[in-house]
Order: sequence, then C-alpha cells, then structure tokens
Amino acid sequence: MGFKYDKHNKYHRLGRSAIITVVSLLVLMWVWWVVSTIVQKTLNFNTSPLAYPQDAFAALFDLIKNGDPLEHRPLSDWVLSSLVKFVKGFILALVIALPVGLLMGNFKPVREFLTPWVEVLRPIAPIAWAPIFVIIFQATNGSIMVVFVGIVFPLLTNIVFGVQKIDPTLIDAAKTLGASDAQIFLKVLVPSTVPYLMNGIKVGLGVGWMCIVAAELYNTTLSGIGYFVKFMIDNSSYDYAFAGIIVIAVLGLLTTGVAEYISKVVSRRMGVDV
Amino acid sequence: MSEPKIKIEGEKWGKERTRADRTDELYAHIPEGDTLMKIENLRVVYRTDDKETVAVDDFTIDIKKGELISIIGPSGCGKTTVLRSIAGLLQPTSGTIKIGDNEVKGPGSDRGMVFQDFALFPWRTVKQNVQFGMEMAGVPKAEREERAMRYIKAVGLERFADSRIHELSGGMKQRVGIARALVMHPAITLMDEPFGALDAQTRNIMQEQLVKIITHSERTIIFVTHSVDEALYLSDRVVILTKRPSTIHTIIDVPWDRPRDRTNPEFTKLRKDILAYLEDQNVMDD
Repeated sequence: MGFKYDKHNKYHRLGRSAIITVVSLLVLMWVWWVVSTIVQKTLNFNTSPLAYPQDAFAALFDLIKNGDPLEHRPLSDWVLSSLVKFVKGFILALVIALPVGLLMGNFKPVREFLTPWVEVLRPIAPIAWAPIFVIIFQATNGSIMVVFVGIVFPLLTNIVFGVQKIDPTLIDAAKTLGASDAQIFLKVLVPSTVPYLMNGIKVGLGVGWMCIVAAELYNTTLSGIGYFVKFMIDNSSYDYAFAGIIVIAVLGLLTTGVAEYISKVVSRRMGVDV
Repeated sequence: MSEPKIKIEGEKWGKERTRADRTDELYAHIPEGDTLMKIENLRVVYRTDDKETVAVDDFTIDIKKGELISIIGPSGCGKTTVLRSIAGLLQPTSGTIKIGDNEVKGPGSDRGMVFQDFALFPWRTVKQNVQFGMEMAGVPKAEREERAMRYIKAVGLERFADSRIHELSGGMKQRVGIARALVMHPAITLMDEPFGALDAQTRNIMQEQLVKIITHSERTIIFVTHSVDEALYLSDRVVILTKRPSTIHTIIDVPWDRPRDRTNPEFTKLRKDILAYLEDQNVMDD
C-alpha cells in the first residue's frame, strides 16, 4: 500500500505539520535530557538545578493532582493569582493607551510633546521597574504595574501608527457625506484603527505574560506562578520549579494563540488582511 | 420659498459642515437648465517650502441645474484641484464658489463625491456604506434601510447588500461608491475619474449604467476624466482645460441625445479634434 503526500490535501498538510511538531518537541526533550546529564556530571551536584525532563513531568503530574509539595495549595491557585494580576495590568494599559494613542495620532502637538517620553521610556526593560514598583506599590500591585509598563508601549505605538496610517480619502469621503469632526473620529478613525489595536494587543499579551512571571520573582507573598518557581528553587525542589516553568510556557502559548486568533478574526471583520 | 434649512457659516473655513440629507430640495426653486452653481475667478496655488505652483487660475463657469459637465485636460493639469475645491476639500487661494446663494466654505453633504479609488469603508458592508451619509444626517433607521436598498438595487448589487467591500470587484466597488453619493440626493454630485481604475470593458458598462441612472433621475454632475471618449459619451458640456496653470480653454456643447453612438462620424470627428488639441498641449496620456 503506497501512501503519497499530497500538498493540496488539507488533512495531509495538517498531519504533516502535526508530525513535525511532535518530533520537534520530542527532540527538544532529548536535548533537555542531554544537557541535564552534562550539568549533572560536570557540576557534581546532589540534585542538579537543571532537573531531568522525566522528573519535571512527574512533578507536574503530582502538582496537578496534589498541589505543591510545601504549602499543598492547588496549581490553579498559583496560576489564577498570576492571571488576575495579568488581566488587571492589561486592562489598565488598554484604558490608558487607547485615549492617549488616539490623541497622539490625531493631534500633532500632543504627538510631538509625548513622543520623547515614549521613546525614552519604551526601551527600558519593564522588569527593570519591578524592584522599585514592588516597594512603591507592594507585591501584588507592583506586579500589575510591571505588566502595565510591558503592555502599554506596544499598544500605544500600534494605535498611534494605526491612526496615522488611515487612508486620507476615507476622511474626505466622510466629509463629503456630511460627517462632523466628532463623527469622523468615531465612525472612521476609531474603526480603521481597530486592526492596529489588535496587533498591539497581540504583541502586548506576549510581553505582558513574560512581565508578570518575572515580576513575581520579586514577590514576598505566596502568590503567582512566577513566585512558585522561585519558591521551589529556594527549597531545592528543582523538578517542581521546572514543572512550574512548563506551566508558564503552556499558558504563554495559549495567551498568544488566543490573541492571534482574535486579532485575525477582528481584522477580517474590519476588512483588513493582516 | 422657505428659508434654506442649512446655512454654511462660521469664521473658520471647513468647520461648519452641511450635514443634511436631500440638499437638492434646497434648490428646488431653481428651474432645470438655470444656473445652479457659479464659480468665479477660482485660483489655487500650492505652496511648498521653496516654490509656489499655480494649479488653477482664473477659472470661471456657471453650472446649470440638471446637466452633466465634464472637465478634461492634459494630464497634470488642475482637473482634480478644481473638483476638490468645489467639494470643499481644498481651500482655494482666491475666488468664490456659490451654490444658489450659499458660498462654499468647506465640505458638506450638498456636494456628494465619487472617488477614483472608491474610498469605501472596508469595515462596513455594502448596505452600511450606502447608509453612511444618512446615518450622519440622522435619517431614521427604517428609512435609511429602505432607501439604501433602493439604490443598491438601482446599481444592480442587491445580491451583495450584505457583502464586505473586499469581496467585490472594482466595478462593483464603484457602483457602491455611486449609490453612496446619490442616495443622499446632493445638490451636486462630483465624480473624480470614477472609472479611471477600471478595465476598459467594465468602464463601458459603468458608463452605460451611469447614463441610465441620470436619464431616470435629474442630477447635476461634474465629472472629471482624462478620457475624451468618456467625456463625449456622457456629458452635456465638456470643459477643456489648458495645461498648468489651468484655465478654461474651450467649452463644447455636446448636442446628441443619450444613449450615444460612439461610432457616429461627428462623434469621432469631435473626439479627434479634442485629442489633437490635447496632444498639442504636449502632455497626453490617453
């Protein structure tokens, strides 16, 4: 029985990429195992800080079933507390970036005045603020602020870019159809900016997820998946630390995947092919 | 005669905008064939840092109610500049444009416009695009829907009323553009090379369709084109511009009834004469 790969068959293509992905992940596990072995052999630790993949996955299953080994809190507890902070930081960023971005895009003096601020602050890694924010705003709100800083700039720059990219003939058309300036703003400018806003959200969510995990490393309260990793390392439970890292990776993948999907749907709905 | 519902006033140019629906009714008292719009000594100068370009100079004309008038000229002349000045999208350097007794002081719904690159809102469906102006004017939803559908049918797009713009062909897009402008019943409809982005065959079909539309409803249309053939096929009068700075070279009355026969020897001769003039102006592109 001969199987022939047909690149015009949707199921063949899907099967192909599924197989490649699985093989790729298996090889990654193997590389992880090899590196762990090397670290173990050369450093002569009792328990290597670089846990073996099989230990990490065993810890992960235990974590899901019985909660963490020290406090016996369920995994959902650790994850949800991170997600809540993440969402709060995201909403705060959106609430600030949307009006400021629209103003900057629309009014040249505002743009000229605020651009230096953005350009000075944007290159600073958001996590650099974490130690200060944790002192100023306390652990929880400090982490939220780090997420805010991480998300607000990609949102802002994308919105400003979107407003400036608007096709001027659309504004001309609206004017000849009698739209007032306020109507042009609401009915032409805002909708035409939406695809760019979605792109900003897509980028922002990825950055934001990195920020929350990193910011939680500076936490002193027992909350968040980032703190969980630090907590386990401090206790030399490296296998559980790596289980936490796997959870972080999967959740990161989910957030960006969802954002990508929504962004695609919205952009199509708004008539833009991204 | 009642007082006009809308007056365009205000200190700042372009800030007071006519937003009303059915602005043609404001000029119902002007009989067909009388002057609806007066353009006097229109002059437009473009300024850049180091030089001034006079695009249009000493442009004076009366537009009659119910006529289709084409503006044609060598490429790079101020055809579109004239049209954009009338639309109020561009502030003339000097001169006046008056519709009835109202001076143009910015864009407004009394001068509907059809754009060369369609300028449709991609996030709206065909029906929502056609309704845009009525929405701005606050026309009730039921009336909006009914009128939009009537115009969508008139341009033969009823099957696509709920389609999105990117699903349409170029010709279909421009039919939406035309419906969107005409549904507002503007006092004057401006068309800026509306079929310029279409292929030759679609272009002919669109010209025939436009002829049908204007023979069924009285419209005053100013039509910018660079196709002599198109101008002669559609217009009651053809305004021929000189090259920059553009002024009016000649105004030709086109005598034939519509629909016209492009192979008629007189038609061909007139076309040849105009082409020869344009060629003489040294910058030809048709």
